Amino acid sequence: MVKQSLLFGSIIALLIVSMAVSLCLGRYEISMKTLMHFLEWKWFYLGDTPHNATLLENILFDIRLPRILCVVLVGAALSVSGGAFQAMFVNPLVSPGILGVLAGASFGAALGIMIAKNWFGVQLFAFTFGFVAVLVALGVAKIYGKSGSTMIMLVLGGVISSSLFSALLSVVKFMADPYDKLPTIVYWLMGSFSAVDMKILASVSMPLLLSTITLSLMGKYLNVLSLGDDDAKALGVRVTWVRNSAILLATLLSTLTVVAAGMIGWVGLIIPHIARFLVGADNRILLPMCALLGAAFLVIVDTLCRTAMSIEIPIGIATSLIGIPIFILALKNAKKGFA
Amino acid sequence: MSFYEAQDLFFSYQEKPILQGVNLSVEEGCIVSLLGENGTGKSTLMKLFLGLLTPEKGTIVLKNRALQSYSIKERALHVSYVPQSTQIAFAFCAFDIVIMGRIAFESWFKKASQADIQIAQSSMERLGIAHLAKRTFQTLSGGEKQLVLIARSLAQGAKILVMDEPVSGLDYGNQLRLLETILHLSKEGYTFLKSTHFPEHALMLGGYTYALKNGHVLAHGETSETITQELINELYNTDIALKQTTCGYPVCVPAFVQMKE
Repeated sequence: MVKQSLLFGSIIALLIVSMAVSLCLGRYEISMKTLMHFLEWKWFYLGDTPHNATLLENILFDIRLPRILCVVLVGAALSVSGGAFQAMFVNPLVSPGILGVLAGASFGAALGIMIAKNWFGVQLFAFTFGFVAVLVALGVAKIYGKSGSTMIMLVLGGVISSSLFSALLSVVKFMADPYDKLPTIVYWLMGSFSAVDMKILASVSMPLLLSTITLSLMGKYLNVLSLGDDDAKALGVRVTWVRNSAILLATLLSTLTVVAAGMIGWVGLIIPHIARFLVGADNRILLPMCALLGAAFLVIVDTLCRTAMSIEIPIGIATSLIGIPIFILALKNAKKGFA
Repeated sequence: MSFYEAQDLFFSYQEKPILQGVNLSVEEGCIVSLLGENGTGKSTLMKLFLGLLTPEKGTIVLKNRALQSYSIKERALHVSYVPQSTQIAFAFCAFDIVIMGRIAFESWFKKASQADIQIAQSSMERLGIAHLAKRTFQTLSGGEKQLVLIARSLAQGAKILVMDEPVSGLDYGNQLRLLETILHLSKEGYTFLKSTHFPEHALMLGGYTYALKNGHVLAHGETSETITQELINELYNTDIALKQTTCGYPVCVPAFVQMKE
C-alpha cells in the first residue's frame, strides 16, 4: 500500500514537473525562476510586477496553458479508454480503436475538411462519425451475437467497421483537392495540438474530464467482467449494462481526442501496459494510474514536438517513434502482466 | 411449496434440443447431484437454474416465485455460482476474488466498505483459507482455487450454491477434502445443486440424485436408492458392479477388475 501511494505520488510529481517545464519551453523561452516569480505575483500578489507581465500572461495563459491542459486531458483519455478496452476484451493487444472509433472519427474529420465551412463543422463531423463507426461495430456484433461469443463478435464488428471507414477515408482523400484539402487532411491525421486554444479546450475539457474520471472509477466492475459473462452475471452484475456504459464512455473519450488533436496512435496501447507493469492488473488501481501516466507521457512528447525542431513535429508520429522503444522495454520487463 | 424447482423445462442450442421436459426439485439444505454423460445438458440445466439462460418452455421457481421475476441483484442474494476453476486472465489476489462476491451490494464507484471486507475475510476463515488472501489466484492449487471460489459464494451471502463439476481437475486428496467441505456446509443449512462425473461422489454426499440422459430425467430420488448398478451401466454404457463393503458402503467395481468369487 505504501509502495503504491509512493508510486502515485511520484507520477503526479512527474506530471506537474513536466507541465511546468512545458510552460517554460518554446519559441520564447521562460526560465523557471521567471515562471515562479510571475505565478507568485499573479496568484498570491507577491513581489514586484514583472517587467514583461503582459507578454508573459499572453504566452503562458493564452497560448501554452490551454494547449498543455488539453494535452493532459487527451493523454489521460486515450490511456484510460485503452486500459478499459483491454480489460473488457481481456486482451493486452487491444487499443482504443478496437471498435472502429478512430477510423470513423478520422473519416468524419476528412469529410468535414472537404465539405464543412469551418473548424467547428470538422469537429462535429469527426465526433459524429466516431460514434457511427462504433454503432456499426455493435450492429454487426448484434446481428450475429446470438451464435458464438459476444466478445469475438464485437472484435469482428470492430474490424469490419474500421476497414469500412478506412476505405471511406481513402475515398475522401482520393477525391480531395491535392493542392489544398489533401495536405490539410494528411497533416490533420498525423495529429497535432497546435490548433488548440481556449475555445477548443472549453468545448472538450468537461466531457473529457468527467468521462475519464467515471471510467477510471469503473475498475471494480471491469474486474468482474474480466471473469467472464456468466460469472459476472451470477455475482449480480448487469453485464450488458456495465459493458455498454464502458464502451460509451471509451468511445466518447476517443472521439473527443480526435476532435481536439487528430489521430494520436500508440498512447492507448502502450500506457496501459506500462501502468500494468507498475501497479499490476487490478483495474481499480490500474485505470487511475493509466490516466496519470498517459497525461505525463503526452505532455513530455508534445513538448518535444514543439521544441525539438524549428518546425513542429506531428504528435502522432512522435508518439509512435518514442512509444515503440518504451514499449519494447516494457515488454521485456513485463512479469506481472496478464500472467 | 417449492423451494427451488424446474418445471417441464425445454431448451435447445441452435435447433439442437438439449433438455426436453425436465422436472427437478431442490429442497432447502439438501445436496442434489446431477449425473449424466458429457453433453447431456447438465451444464445447461445449471445455467437455467442460475438464470444465465432462459428456458424455451417451462419455468424455474425460486421460493414460490418465478426466477425470471427476480432482479439480477435479488437473484444474487439467493443463488450463487461456483464455476469450474475459472480461467482468470488478470493477476488478482485471492482476497480480491472473494470480495467480488460483494459487488452487487457495494455502492457504485465506492471502495468496498469495512463491513464488506469483514464478510469476505470471515468467509475465507470459515473455509480455512484466510492465509491465502494475499496470494495471486493463478499461483494457487486447483483445490485452493475451488475453495476461494466457494468463499466468494459465501461472501455473496446466497444460501444456494450451484456448482459445475466442482472436483474436476483436482487431485484425489483435494477431491475428498472438497466433498467434505460441501457436506459440512450443507449441514450448516446451505443448499447445493452440483453436477458430477463420479456416481461414487454422489453416494458419498447422499442427498438427492437426478440422472439425465438424452435431455430427459432417467431416474431421480434419494441418492442411496437411485444410484443402482443398473442405472450406472445404462447411464454411462459401462459394465460395473455396485458392491457393498463390509461396513455397508457401496463402491463401483468395473468388470475388468472383478475377481471371481
